[in-house]
Amino acid sequence: MLFSLRELVQWLGFATFELFLHLGALLVFSLLVALQVDLFASGMSWWLVFVPLFAADGLSTYFTAIVSIRLYQEGERRLAVLRLLWVLTVLSLKLVCEVLLCQKLAEEEQARDLWFGLIVSPLFILLQLLMIRACRVN
Amino acid sequence: MRMSLAQRVLLTWIFTLVFLIMLVLKLDDKIHWNWFLIFLPIWVFDTILLIMLGVKMAGRCKPGHDPHDGVQGLRKKAWYAAAMLLKLAFCLTLCARLEGLTEMKLTFVCIPLWTLLLGAMTELGFNIFPNRRD
Repeated sequence: MLFSLRELVQWLGFATFELFLHLGALLVFSLLVALQVDLFASGMSWWLVFVPLFAADGLSTYFTAIVSIRLYQEGERRLAVLRLLWVLTVLSLKLVCEVLLCQKLAEEEQARDLWFGLIVSPLFILLQLLMIRACRVN
Repeated sequence: MRMSLAQRVLLTWIFTLVFLIMLVLKLDDKIHWNWFLIFLPIWVFDTILLIMLGVKMAGRCKPGHDPHDGVQGLRKKAWYAAAMLLKLAFCLTLCARLEGLTEMKLTFVCIPLWTLLLGAMTELGFNIFPNRRD
């Protein structure tokens, strides 16, 4: 719509398949959140609800590792290292945000000091990195 | 006139940043605004996108436009418009539920989101396996 798929792949640094994977994970996650809120109401652990997102992060890391190894073997060493570093940075920031949010939801009493500004801070860092990358890609 | 990638990224970035800041302030009880007001950056951004889409679709009615490359493009634009409306429907019902205007179950609130995600996954799937499109 605002971006073509090619531009999105260039900007975000993820392959189309990885975007597909993360969208699928988001779909399953939203289904589980709706189930948790409407049906189970604290019967299901929040850690279980977040499993699709963690799984997508893990699979994406595995996929990136494979692609980077292939690139390295084909002599594109700089590209392989840069891709690996970028994707791992993005995924780790996303994972930190997910884990903190899950902890906040799962342990409401113990995690009272965990304020939302802190939970979302990895996303703020990610936004800055994406802006810098956009200037580079442009 | 087409915006450059940097301009489009900047537009998306500013609205996302403002929305995230307002969301965090609301969730941390620093501000007590209406949820519809918290979602204001989303409404503005969606309106801009809908206007841009409308202008593009109107451009197809110009006399010089080649109708042969039109069917696929028009289908794509129609899907984009539907996606925008689904997103708007999800955000509106979510705001109404958060504000307590309705007691609707979250499952019903999420139906537009699921439809949107399924559509986006289908679109991406066709891009991953292009030969199966026909």
